[in-house]
Amino acid sequence: MFRKSLLGLIGCLLLSFLLLAYPLYVLRPFRYQGPRELSAALAVMRLRPFLEVILVITALMFLIWVWRTTPRISRKIVALLCFLAVASCGVLSRVNVYELLFHPLDKPSFSPAPKTSLDGREQVIAINVNGAARAYPIRIISYHHLVNDVVGGVPIIATY
Amino acid sequence: MRDEQTGTYWQQITGLAVAGPLAGHRLTLVAADELTFALWKSERPEGTVLNDVSRYVHDYAPEDWDVKMASTPTVISYAQAGLKPRDLMLGVRAFGASRAFPYAAVLKQKLIEDHVSGEPVLLVVGPDNLSVRVFRRRLPGSATPEFYRIPEAKEQSQSGVLLLDAQSGSRWNFHGCAIDGKFKGVCLEPLQVIKDYWFDWRNYNPQTTVYGIKQQIH
Repeated sequence: MFRKSLLGLIGCLLLSFLLLAYPLYVLRPFRYQGPRELSAALAVMRLRPFLEVILVITALMFLIWVWRTTPRISRKIVALLCFLAVASCGVLSRVNVYELLFHPLDKPSFSPAPKTSLDGREQVIAINVNGAARAYPIRIISYHHLVNDVVGGVPIIATY
Repeated sequence: MRDEQTGTYWQQITGLAVAGPLAGHRLTLVAADELTFALWKSERPEGTVLNDVSRYVHDYAPEDWDVKMASTPTVISYAQAGLKPRDLMLGVRAFGASRAFPYAAVLKQKLIEDHVSGEPVLLVVGPDNLSVRVFRRRLPGSATPEFYRIPEAKEQSQSGVLLLDAQSGSRWNFHGCAIDGKFKGVCLEPLQVIKDYWFDWRNYNPQTTVYGIKQQIH
């Protein structure tokens, strides 16, 4: 019975690891992504929090079964480690580590043009919306990549 | 990029949602210029500028970032016909076609009259010799206008006048608007232009033509 439970735990671990690793592999930076594998990886990312919960619960059930039926401490520890690994995959799969690298702006602040100390030669991306003029210095927006803004009453996303 | 509300993933370069609940939707492009700060400030002194975020300011790109970037490898190449992946291009997508203008050539010539999908266009370098705007080269009622760059005289650069069209005698500024002559008050229709690396422009515009290159690009 222990063997079956262990197989079950290992199965949960393999699945939860695959769910974690597949998007990490496909979506890594500086890699060309074909449209189908991109859709597949993003679909996995959307489904996996739900699937991981099921896998964690399943692994927990196997763990409880082993804990109750096996007297041997070593077997209990192996089962516990497997469960913890599944649980770790479950936790990590709620995060997109690649997103952690970026710092989009959701509360940008602005200064009137005469008050900034920007050099005249700095390049800016300039827009006019409903008569309101806004400039995004490239050296700032190229770091944040995304600026959530409202210009002339219109919500816009400035991207670089 | 991903929106928090639905988790949909969007391509930054096209504004198209590629995966998620809103897949297939497209964001509306806001017309934008890439200008030097000095030029923009002279045009819109009442405008506002994005501030540094002090927490990240030390990680912002240095002033020579474009020099360093030029030697960074790319995932895809499209090197051909003398074009290198990181050649800077000015990309125009209009009238159902895409055309790329090598930025260096545009800066050198200062004024380019060309066509995109058969429609006459005009590329103008601004008084700062760095900013570029693109216009549709059509005026009400007249044949396709021909423009000349007026030599920079102190008085003219102060008024922002750059161009003359010989047929009407009107003089035009960097907004593409005539300040005198027959077409006084008339403005040319601006076209969206994006400064992009060749490999990226070609990746999203597989049918693009390239100004100055006669052979077919694959």
